[in-house]
Amino acid sequence: MDDIKEYLKAERSKEWRTELRKSKKAKERTSLERALMPEADPNKRNKNIEEVNKGLLTEVALVEASRCLDCPNPTCITGCPVGINIPKFIKKIETEDFLGAAKVLKETNTLPAVCGRVCPQEKQCEANCFYTVSLKKTPVAIGHLERFAADFERNSGKMSVPEVMESDGIKVAVIGSGPAGLACAGDLAKFGHEVTVFEALHEIGGVLKYGIPEFRLPNEIVDVEIDNLKKMGITFKTNFIIGKTVSIDDLREQGFQAFFVGSGAGLPNFMNIPGENYNNIFSSNEYLTRVNLMNAAKSDYDTPVFSGNNVAVIGGGNTAMDSVRTAKRLGAERAMIIYRRSREEMPARVEEVKHAIEEGIEFMNLHNPVEYFANKDGRVNKMRVQKMELGEPDASGRRRPIPIEGSEFDIDVDTVIVSVGVSPNPLIPSALPDLKVTSWHTIEVNPENMQSSIPDIFAGGDIVRGGATVILAMGDGRKAAEGMHKYVTEKVKAN
Amino acid sequence: MADLTTKYMGLTLRNPIIVASSGLTDSFEKIKEHDKNNAGAVVLKSLFEEQILLEAEHKLSQAKSNPFLYAENSETLDYLDIHLKDKELSNYLSMIRKIKDELHIPVIASINCVSSMEWTGFAKQIEEAGADAIELNIFILPFNLEHSCTETEEKYYEIVRKVKKEINIPLAVKISPFFSNLGQVIKKIEAEGADSVVLFNRFSRPNIDINAVKVSVAEAFSTPEEMYNTLRWIAIMANRTNMDLAATTGIHNGESVVKQILAGASVVQVASALYKNGHDYITEMIKFVDNWMDSKGFNYVDQFKGRLSQEKSTHPEIFERIQFMKYFSEIK
Repeated sequence: MDDIKEYLKAERSKEWRTELRKSKKAKERTSLERALMPEADPNKRNKNIEEVNKGLLTEVALVEASRCLDCPNPTCITGCPVGINIPKFIKKIETEDFLGAAKVLKETNTLPAVCGRVCPQEKQCEANCFYTVSLKKTPVAIGHLERFAADFERNSGKMSVPEVMESDGIKVAVIGSGPAGLACAGDLAKFGHEVTVFEALHEIGGVLKYGIPEFRLPNEIVDVEIDNLKKMGITFKTNFIIGKTVSIDDLREQGFQAFFVGSGAGLPNFMNIPGENYNNIFSSNEYLTRVNLMNAAKSDYDTPVFSGNNVAVIGGGNTAMDSVRTAKRLGAERAMIIYRRSREEMPARVEEVKHAIEEGIEFMNLHNPVEYFANKDGRVNKMRVQKMELGEPDASGRRRPIPIEGSEFDIDVDTVIVSVGVSPNPLIPSALPDLKVTSWHTIEVNPENMQSSIPDIFAGGDIVRGGATVILAMGDGRKAAEGMHKYVTEKVKAN
Repeated sequence: MADLTTKYMGLTLRNPIIVASSGLTDSFEKIKEHDKNNAGAVVLKSLFEEQILLEAEHKLSQAKSNPFLYAENSETLDYLDIHLKDKELSNYLSMIRKIKDELHIPVIASINCVSSMEWTGFAKQIEEAGADAIELNIFILPFNLEHSCTETEEKYYEIVRKVKKEINIPLAVKISPFFSNLGQVIKKIEAEGADSVVLFNRFSRPNIDINAVKVSVAEAFSTPEEMYNTLRWIAIMANRTNMDLAATTGIHNGESVVKQILAGASVVQVASALYKNGHDYITEMIKFVDNWMDSKGFNYVDQFKGRLSQEKSTHPEIFERIQFMKYFSEIK
């Protein structure tokens, strides 16, 4: 910890940073207003899949970067799960060294363009910004600036392929191509190992592709990163389910020396209320996967999804927002969120809620479904909801919802999307009886190196965390890569 | 040797002694032991909503302190109580399936409810899992100063009505004695379609520790003296309802089993006696009833069931007497 502090101090003391700080008075910096992210017109964007946030213009980014005070004690970094040197990359932007800023980001963050778009900065770095904590002002737009630097690098055509050490021929496997798997694969390749990524679906990218819709994270952004990994020599095998297509033992026989399990949390939870099995009641996983990955929004494809007119999404998290906004884009006249707590208690990002409201999403807070009804064909046509009131806070600090007896009423619906959380993918743990799992069904790992109870198996991301953020998953992947590198090197030496 | 076979809500039991819903009936292994000890049936431990909420609280605190779990934004943790309930229900249903697959003992599932909302849908799944009957354990502590007695009672009827609508297996309703007109409540429960009433449920009771000057919980087990109120109401209702009556609370030996059946109970439910004397104590209770029947020349339980109910008793007034007129006045 002290080492990091010393390092940050040394970095901050460099001449260019000192000069830059002196170039403007602090008061001048703090008097500037936070830059607003330009957004697509809500009434247009809710009918197409174009990205909502347009990205900061260069001149706006420069002003925003100058708001950062380059504090001696950069508390923003403590709010970042992977400890990005935030003041340094922002000051690089201020000096118009945008590629340099991207390089700083990539020191600790494999996918800055992704994180700049989907990280809950308002709860992480920006919540700990000096502006928020001490000045009680709106924080520096760290997330917007991160995205700006990463996008600049991508659009500049000067996106560097990270250097890879000479191949040592050691075969390692990465199971799952989500953020944890991609980050792990990237670092393993840098160490010179022969990396194969196994993906169960037909597309690489995991939750970045199937879970987060195009309007929030364009697939193109992810594809650029994947191309880069391919250029580093990583092999990707899609439609390949470890535990079904082949077992871990089969791969061991094929010479794989270590495995990273980043198979995510793809098992949707339901509420187990009457009628939940009727047709057109989906989990958000199924709904989003079909729309994002299987072209289900197009009626000429094999498995189109039903585009409902009255769509109810159950839940208050980011996945619920993604689902309801997707339903609106597919043509729903009435797309509503049904959430049992009030708007303040919603786990979704503030920005997602704001965007949803702008796009005409209806919010039924303090309501909870109790039963579904169907027509004679078994398709849902009505749901019964019950009003709730808030009681005392529970252990999460949120006030507990309490049903109001006798307050039930019915709403017409033709599509329901249940978005009440996910459980870790059970495939790998169930195929490996010796693998220790927690009572949450997550894989137990050593936090130092992400090694599981089976020495050649490492794990990270949602399979270890239940449901995390992209950046935490990536952090796990990188830590595991380091652990695996050490493990395989010693293993090979011993043999 | 007498034939102790008993009919309860249409189910055939090998004898009238049922292991009551308690910690004694919360696992397959324990049920297997009760089966081995020849219990007539078992009522599974109830699912308590309150317990699930407490568990959810505990798990949430754990999640907050686990550096790996990212509690704040998780939709899963946001709905943790619902997922836990789902898990509890699924474990409960698995247990029922396993018991029905591997054992012969009749299984009565128990649902503890204070509202008609949460659990009625679950009754259907219990039936599908193979339970032979359901026992609803309803208790609404009537401290709401705004509600009239009728409003509170109406909740009981609503729960019974809703559950009855969901299932085809028999339904027992376990209630407390705390009603201003218990007889009428039982009759109304019958009118809603229940097949049995279980008299009476027993609650955790508060106590005060005067040394530590704090509130505590009183002794959990019943005492044999507690059975007389049950005896009174079994006798009073025996010929006033077509439902089966199940007697519980304070039944600690074979003798009290005989007494309750004489008063009109079809079956008795025991728990404290087994906690105190061991699971196999039930065999001694069965033996006592058997020997008593032999000694009195009864071949079947039906021959003495309800013989001393209020209607048939030669002293019906005793069951209605509530003041001690002579007894205490003679004590000097």
